[in-house]
Amino acid sequence: MKALCWMGSSDVEVHTVDDPTILNPHDAIIKITRTAICGSDLHLYDGFIPTMEQGDILGHEFMGIVEDTGKSVSNLQRGDRVVVPFTIACGNCEFCRKKIWSACDNTNPNAHLMEAAYGYSGSGLFGYSHMMGGYAGGQAQYVRVPFANVGPLKIESDLPDEKVLFLSDIFPTGYMAAENAQIHEGDTVAVWGCGPVGQFAIASAFMLGAARVIAIDRLRERLELARSIGSITVDYSGEDVSVLTALKDLTGGVGPDSCIDAVGLEAHSAQLQGVYDKVKTALMLETDRPSVLRQAIQSVRKGGTVSIPGVYGGLLDKVPFGAAFGKGITMKMGQTNMHNYMKPLLERIEKGQIDPSYIISHRITLDQAPEMYKVWRDKKQNVTKIVIDPWAA
Amino acid sequence: MSKALNEKPNAEPLPVATAAGILLHGRYLAPPEDKDGKIWVRTSALINANAEVLYSMWRDVEAAPLWQEQIEKVTSTGKVTSHWVMRTVAKDNDREKTIEWDSEILRDEPGRRIAWRSTGGESDNAGEVVFEPSPSGRGTLVTVLQEFRLGKLASVWQTIVGRNPKQAVIENLRHFKALAETGEIPRTQGQPHGPRGTIAEIKKSIYGEETTTPPGLNRKAS
Repeated sequence: MKALCWMGSSDVEVHTVDDPTILNPHDAIIKITRTAICGSDLHLYDGFIPTMEQGDILGHEFMGIVEDTGKSVSNLQRGDRVVVPFTIACGNCEFCRKKIWSACDNTNPNAHLMEAAYGYSGSGLFGYSHMMGGYAGGQAQYVRVPFANVGPLKIESDLPDEKVLFLSDIFPTGYMAAENAQIHEGDTVAVWGCGPVGQFAIASAFMLGAARVIAIDRLRERLELARSIGSITVDYSGEDVSVLTALKDLTGGVGPDSCIDAVGLEAHSAQLQGVYDKVKTALMLETDRPSVLRQAIQSVRKGGTVSIPGVYGGLLDKVPFGAAFGKGITMKMGQTNMHNYMKPLLERIEKGQIDPSYIISHRITLDQAPEMYKVWRDKKQNVTKIVIDPWAA
Repeated sequence: MSKALNEKPNAEPLPVATAAGILLHGRYLAPPEDKDGKIWVRTSALINANAEVLYSMWRDVEAAPLWQEQIEKVTSTGKVTSHWVMRTVAKDNDREKTIEWDSEILRDEPGRRIAWRSTGGESDNAGEVVFEPSPSGRGTLVTVLQEFRLGKLASVWQTIVGRNPKQAVIENLRHFKALAETGEIPRTQGQPHGPRGTIAEIKKSIYGEETTTPPGLNRKAS
């Protein structure tokens, strides 16, 4: 089959590799019909996530048709159409039973690597470094899905792929971000980053009762998308725009009730701290560039909530913890507990409450993917979301 | 450290007092320190299964190759004795080299505790596993204490077995838990990938991905 492989920093290539096979009793093989490039794939592309290796197959947002199942998979049959969550969960450990699926104990074959870095290991992820399991990803024609008895969501309606594909990660991720933001009826919510996760966080914040959502970005097309679903926008690239001041101005000096950091570890900042983080990460004295996190903590109202769907990987400098303590804020974060959200969000799509395909800007073949990774990273061609048909020539 | 491979057996029975020695009269006890050629590893896991089931799984020594890394075959040789064969990554005239030893069970308390030691052969080890109900009432806390007295073998263990022995004990308990909770052991060996460079090949051993994941119950997976 054809698969997109990580070959090094800023280097991905399409290679012909072996087809995946069933390796465990709860495995399924999926023939992929649509797959997407995620913002978090850029952290791999840019070399920010350790334990990536040459030849690793990328991709964790995908859906397709069940091709084959292991002997212990009874919920799926050949021919079923499924969306696969990017986190792999066993369904039987203490964490799965608590519905903290992304903390599953039993799905990371390289748990010791993550234990060394984080103290404990979370669940395995598709196509996201050896530390996170080393599983081959889904920017390919086929993929092996472990614990297929637990994860994949069957799509029984005739909704097109593009409307349900984002149930694999970014829609639930945006939704959980809004849920983690502890929104009450009438609240004001600020969202940093109007990429795909930010978009779905905005839409979800409204679903959960926010009266006003303030979206922050620097890219015109993304701010436009954010306004198209009802938020007001702050373009931080504008001269004299201070996000902190803007958020005070827009909330009567109180600050947003909740702040959502949908940017994560590669934040851009025009301020001095942006330069500071660039230098420190380049010298390997810091692993992440947390300027959005700093702003969110500064901006949130007293007793408010900071929700973090943006990915962080390692050690952060100059996080204003005094401000967090001084205001008594709550912070909630983590990989998405996918399995809690896929079904309810599918129902919302089926009822026509949201059509997640509105964020798609590019539809490409697998062979175009290496070029499009560059476009995606450099935010060229008004790119907002790239969807791949791995079988298109 | 200068003990030759054939100077066996010299492992001693473990202290009989406590649950693999984590608590004594309410005080936490750190694991024993490595010294005089003896290395220790203590590890624990919360497993969602009852103690009797887990005890039986562990006590079934002939099934150990299903979840213990590099163990090729275990043969019961008596009520409490068994013979163990372990694969190594070393080659002997292109043939996979194995090491072998005999083992006996010193304490056998169904549903609670098993302690063992080797009685001769090429590995000198002793160990104990304790099964206790979790304070939450959900699942069982499983604690393993293992001692290796390897003499010369200690320094080359990682080279011939492919995994640091302490890490192997930790991984084995992880495999045991996965098998008990899910009926399989997570694996990536055998999945497709693109061309690996030289560095990726070297890193595989650092990641522990060279050590064959035990089969779990998957031999007839597909």
